[in-house]
Amino acid sequence: MPASEQNQSPDKQDSTPDNTTHFGYKTIDKEDKVSMVAGVFHSVAKQYDVMNDLMSFGVHRLWKRFTIDASGVRPGNKVLDLAGGTGDLTAKFSQLVGKEGKVILADINSSMLNVGRDKLRDKGLVQNIEYVQANAQYLPFEDNTFDIVTIAFGLRNVTDKDMALRSIYRVLKPGGRLLVLEFSKPEHELLNKAYDFYSFNILPKMGELVAKDGDSYQYLAESIRMHPDQETLKTMMDNAGFEQTSFKNLTGGVVALHKGYKF
Amino acid sequence: MTTTLSKIASSLMISQALTSALEVMINKTLALSTANVSLEKLIQKTLTLELEELGFPLSFTVCNAIENPQIVVTTLTEGVDCTIKTSLSTLRELKAEQQITELIKQNKLDLTGDVKVAQQFANVAENLDIDWQSELANQIGDIPTHKLMQLGKRVSTKVQFAAKQIKADASEYIVHEKRLVVTRSQIDQFNQQVFEVSEQVDMLNQRISQLINRKANH
Repeated sequence: MPASEQNQSPDKQDSTPDNTTHFGYKTIDKEDKVSMVAGVFHSVAKQYDVMNDLMSFGVHRLWKRFTIDASGVRPGNKVLDLAGGTGDLTAKFSQLVGKEGKVILADINSSMLNVGRDKLRDKGLVQNIEYVQANAQYLPFEDNTFDIVTIAFGLRNVTDKDMALRSIYRVLKPGGRLLVLEFSKPEHELLNKAYDFYSFNILPKMGELVAKDGDSYQYLAESIRMHPDQETLKTMMDNAGFEQTSFKNLTGGVVALHKGYKF
Repeated sequence: MTTTLSKIASSLMISQALTSALEVMINKTLALSTANVSLEKLIQKTLTLELEELGFPLSFTVCNAIENPQIVVTTLTEGVDCTIKTSLSTLRELKAEQQITELIKQNKLDLTGDVKVAQQFANVAENLDIDWQSELANQIGDIPTHKLMQLGKRVSTKVQFAAKQIKADASEYIVHEKRLVVTRSQIDQFNQQVFEVSEQVDMLNQRISQLINRKANH
């Protein structure tokens, strides 16, 4: 369930030492990767929401609600929904921050951003949302701008995750919090095996059937496996300067919500 | 025990499933209400309910949308205008606006924050009026709705009759057959006998006092 491409590199330690990186399990030139991943998201953007519901059996809505509940958002807050894709989190944040607040829906992929913008406008959510095409590694915002930054199902696609985390830290206000919702490592071996079977055998077929693009969903499964596990990501957040970092496993660790503060 | 339940609920995201379902139900109900329910005064106001039976809070925020204000349900406790701590049973009595003060006096409800927000939410709940028959007719047509309503009434009458019958039979079994409890008339009769004995004791007491006085005078 990729939310957006973000100069992707699903390598557990981000890009490789030379000028190559990973695209799922494949090793490719860094230069090629941006366009390849962009292709994935341009391809799936229109069917993205339908596929999310199908692939997760609707549970992604609960994961996102959990994120909202953990955000501590209040009226007047300024929120950055990074790699916000089709705007599920933005929709809720927009309602909760009110007209004094603001939500920036940022995504590197224009197709995803367009789908998100159309969806939110159809819902009548226009008054406090701005749309920005941005790379998580080079956020085009001033220091200490946001009360809350969220990145849901997007961080694993970022080429240099450490750089992105530092960039997020910079734009957060002191006292602000970062929430990273991302696929992670299931806690139990049995669940892990079932999840692997589902991801590599069923998911690409569903993608082929619904989005007419099995390869993109094969990439999705591979990129999830290459993403840092819970503890590694927590350490990366610590290294970027975040304090009181913690994570909460959801659905047995299939997904984890990481939280960190800037003080 | 409560902490364990709370952890399980959190892991299974029960609170998120509940808030999600509540949000859909509430907004659907508001949309169906034929009465003029105004949420304008409550825009951007949040009421939090902390129910004894639940391990998490329920926050209701009225949000502005282009067509109609909507209510968003979360478990957030930040930026809340009013918090009510109570139980599910008391919540049923809360529908009437004037009940709030009475329930606070009875210590059935603990309220912090702006009481007006709670009263306005109660007012909205009180004024909701949904014409279910008309809504159903829009979905399945007039004649099937009419037939369905007639069937509903018949079923309801039969259920009420059956409930009354079961109550009477159970009463007969417990009181007369098993003699586990006594009847109202038996209690009244017993009370009357106790009263009579009490009166006789009083009279006897008076008589004894008189005799003691008389003997003392001699």
